[in-house]
Amino acid sequence: MRAPILAFATLLAATPAMAQQRETLTIGITQYPSTLHPNIENMAAKSYVLGFARRPLTAYAPDWSLVCLQCETLPTIENGLAVRETTPDGRPGLRLTYRLREGLRWGDGTPMTAEDLLFAWQAGRDESTGFGAAEFYRSAYEMRVIDPRTIEMRLDKVTFDFASMGDFQPLPAHLERAVWQADPRNYRTRTLYDTAPTNPGLWSGPYRVSAVQPGSGITLVRNDAWSGQAPAFREIRVRTVENTTALEAQLLSGQLDMIAGELGLPVEQAAALERRARGRFRVEYRPGLIYEHVDTNLDNPILADRRVRQALMYSLDRARIVAQLFDGRQTVANSNVNPLDQMADPAVRQYPYDLARATALLEEAGWRPGPDGIRRNEAGQRLTLDLMTTAGNRSREQVQQVMAAMWRQAGIEARIRNEPPRVFFAETLSRRRHQGLAMYAWISAPESVPRSSLHSDEIPTAARNFSGQNYPGFRNAEMDRLLEQLPITLSPEARRPLWSRLQAIYAEELPSLPLYFRQDAHVWPQWLDGVRPTGHLNPSSLWAEEWRAR
Amino acid sequence: MSIPARLVQILVTLLALSCVFYLLLGLMPGDPIDLALTLDPRLTPADVERLRALHGLDRPLWARYLAWAGAVLRGDFGYSRLFAQPVFALVGPALWSSLQLLGAALGLAVLVGVGLGMLAALRPRLSPLVQGLAAIAQAMPGFWLGILLIILFAVTLGMLPAGGVAEAGEPGWRFLVLPVATLGFGHMAAYARHALSAMRGAMTDPWIRSARARGASEGRIALAHALPNAAVPLITLLGLDAGALVSGAVITETLFARPGMGKLIFDAVMGNDYNLALVALLLVAGVTMLGNLAADLAQRALDPRLA
Amino acid sequence: MRLWAGLSLLCIVLLSALSADLVGAWLGLDAATPDLFARYAEPSAAHPLGTDDLGRDVAMRLLHGARVSLAVGLAAAAIGAVLGTAAGVLAAWRGGWADAVLMRLADALLALPALPLLIILSALDPAPIGLPRGEAAADILRVAVILAIFGWVGVARLARAAAMSVLAMDFIRAARALGVPEGRLLRRHVLPALMGPVGVATALSVGGAILAESALSFLGLGIAPPASSWGNMLAGAQEAVFQAPLVALWPGLAILLTVLGCNLVADGLRR
Repeated sequence: MRAPILAFATLLAATPAMAQQRETLTIGITQYPSTLHPNIENMAAKSYVLGFARRPLTAYAPDWSLVCLQCETLPTIENGLAVRETTPDGRPGLRLTYRLREGLRWGDGTPMTAEDLLFAWQAGRDESTGFGAAEFYRSAYEMRVIDPRTIEMRLDKVTFDFASMGDFQPLPAHLERAVWQADPRNYRTRTLYDTAPTNPGLWSGPYRVSAVQPGSGITLVRNDAWSGQAPAFREIRVRTVENTTALEAQLLSGQLDMIAGELGLPVEQAAALERRARGRFRVEYRPGLIYEHVDTNLDNPILADRRVRQALMYSLDRARIVAQLFDGRQTVANSNVNPLDQMADPAVRQYPYDLARATALLEEAGWRPGPDGIRRNEAGQRLTLDLMTTAGNRSREQVQQVMAAMWRQAGIEARIRNEPPRVFFAETLSRRRHQGLAMYAWISAPESVPRSSLHSDEIPTAARNFSGQNYPGFRNAEMDRLLEQLPITLSPEARRPLWSRLQAIYAEELPSLPLYFRQDAHVWPQWLDGVRPTGHLNPSSLWAEEWRAR
Repeated sequence: MSIPARLVQILVTLLALSCVFYLLLGLMPGDPIDLALTLDPRLTPADVERLRALHGLDRPLWARYLAWAGAVLRGDFGYSRLFAQPVFALVGPALWSSLQLLGAALGLAVLVGVGLGMLAALRPRLSPLVQGLAAIAQAMPGFWLGILLIILFAVTLGMLPAGGVAEAGEPGWRFLVLPVATLGFGHMAAYARHALSAMRGAMTDPWIRSARARGASEGRIALAHALPNAAVPLITLLGLDAGALVSGAVITETLFARPGMGKLIFDAVMGNDYNLALVALLLVAGVTMLGNLAADLAQRALDPRLA
Repeated sequence: MRLWAGLSLLCIVLLSALSADLVGAWLGLDAATPDLFARYAEPSAAHPLGTDDLGRDVAMRLLHGARVSLAVGLAAAAIGAVLGTAAGVLAAWRGGWADAVLMRLADALLALPALPLLIILSALDPAPIGLPRGEAAADILRVAVILAIFGWVGVARLARAAAMSVLAMDFIRAARALGVPEGRLLRRHVLPALMGPVGVATALSVGGAILAESALSFLGLGIAPPASSWGNMLAGAQEAVFQAPLVALWPGLAILLTVLGCNLVADGLRR
């Protein structure tokens, strides 16, 4: 009876192709990019896949410094490529000059020129094109082609991060301009990026898209027109598996070579995998800019009292949560600024676990222990707060239950009321319908000014179409001034005290309760070298030509 | 009812369903722009207004439905927001992939189920064993079985892929084995039980008894005489099973990361992709109803009394 | 035999659900308090079935989960039974267009794939119709109602067939001729005759609802944590299934045995 089963097993096991493995790299991620157009919609899976196939003008490097990818030199005031000037309507403005690197070509051999940048700007500036955030295109009010590789643009404001071009990047005018001109309103459904994504002329990175299986995967092959360092793999396959258990199973069964940290396993799952499959994979944890926090609602009378907010912090043992739930692989947050950010202030007020101080603060605020262990105020009201988060996010639901248990120790009752992400983000948070506490995360670029989440003008209201992300409803005149001052202060040294003050107010006033900064868990095979995790919005795939098989 | 009448009935049902689905999808909280808002902090009030108008979301629900229905009548099934593809281009391959999965699972369920049922009818000693197996199969949560199979065959033994689809040049059947087993196992139970009871009934027919008296072998009697008689109720079951199979496909395709209609519908609903969700749902409903019709027709062909 | 086997299985489940608090007090365990220092503990004297991802006792959570899962199953089945009986009797009694409409509706629902529709219904927001979001009791009701929307069909078909056969009997015609009011006829003669078939269908739909809840939980649309149902325990455990496979084993077994119990009862009743 044994023999036939064994024979069957060998038959089944014989097929996996081991020999050519080093020619290809199969990567698992947990999300599928909804579009491949670089400027329509903004999602992590798209950035990751496009990182292989095209390059933005500028990006933040793995060391969090701003670098040129397609341009020759970053403009600065000192090198004269950025010039302060006054806009026609009398506001302070800037004139920037970018020069494309020499020898850049699209995948079909067409040289990349300033015309491609001009086209991207024209398309973005047209309201009907449907590019997501139009802020840059409104601000960049003029763009001129100086020579085939150089453009000059004028911005109607001065910000310290003016050299960062964000999503702005060359688009292949020789292919896309005609499509766009024919019907700008329907450009987002007609663009070749989605109707013919395997057209080599769309791509300019070390790899180009060669096959798309909607919902399950995108395959990239080496781009022969790439003029930079030659990439090592003939083919890169990005495969989407939403369920992280299934993702891990596919890694263990050898179908996937690696799992991208940007969109991969939660750290605790990666840590468990590392312990069990010791030696098969390398796991690298990269502290990142994903900031997990709990927004308060300052219109709630209980939370309007700063002492209650501080007591909430003191009664929360975040160090233990991180140590026990996340294998120590998260960074406890003291404010909204990551400790790795160059503007982080190490002297900012901290909230270590201190039940006695929490108790004292609550007593002072008039909350006395009640018969059921939950505190009550003079009027007999119980100290009860709703604690919401996104239903289905396992790790948040875990943390939330632990937090509720910890707060109960201090006599605070947290009622867990979770909602599916679409309801939580689209209805509840964005319309400020959360009654108490709401836990979720922000991801940002290095040194990004949190204006939209802290300025009093950014409180979502019906009158503003519910835009703005100041969900707590935080109003602080000094904070508003800092948020206005910071962007226009060009010298980093002059900005440092402003940042310190911002962090101090944040930590003192606690519009949101800081929890921790997430870390990305990158899971690589032992034979892969050269991947540099970034920990921010620009994914590691932007440097994919450096990846090597050992 | 005649076939044309049934087809008309299916069409009317689909029309009514499109209305209900559209309403339900419209009632789901949050629209695509709300979601974009939370993803991109740089969106301003002006951006929101511009994008809403661009996506036609500033119009009332009924107007959107009429516009959609009008476009469909002109042959334009709209555009999937989630996959940035025309809906029609997405649905075809997904339906094909699902039909492979469902067909194989149904085939497995019928073959194994009927086989076991016949075995139990012919060998009464084995009957409790078969009935026990059927009872367990029916009570097993599908995704639990799937997880157990993945742990055993993909992770521990490494014999089969844990999910996904074949890369170019790889044999596709290896990727079907576990999903088909997961889906087929639960459905096997009903066939086994029906085959068992139908066979038992058929075996006591006077006609069968006379065949036995003529000296025909038991196996021959079972295959040539009893089975065709037992087939009629089985085909009814087959028709009724179509809807349940599609439901099972949602779970199986999600668990095994296998692209198909089930996963497409789930992703579309969760991702606020109205066009895609609507067309996919209607297509699945239509195919299921056609399956029912086919089962009815087959039944009539086999059983002259029903004609 | 089957009826008794099934009933005893269900009795065990029901008793353990009812005794959850007692057992907890006796063993000094509770299902809700996380213990971060004892995550995924192996089964031991302190934790007979080990602990889960937050260090909570799996056995206690199973007992409490039994309440939620049974509540969902029973509530869905009860709503379905009431709706289905009403629809079946109405169709049989009124005949004509009422019969045609109800039975076409039933046919259509039976032919439709239920889960994709359940997904949409679960994704709807209960808040506008006054149900609080994310509270355990409201969650149970929500899931039960959604499942009953499909659950009444099976009951209705059986109830209609049974009611039709009773209504066609001679003594009913005789009673009508004697002027017995219709309401009394239905109450006295038709409803009692429905007990058998409705009982079978209800027993089956309890099991079906428990399975459906676990499927919805797997997709993240079932009963929301922190309340524990077998479905969400299973869905939660599957995320760490390589790390702690046993945690996923128990709720799966509990579902299996309970559904098996329901099906055995239905089988037994049918005979």
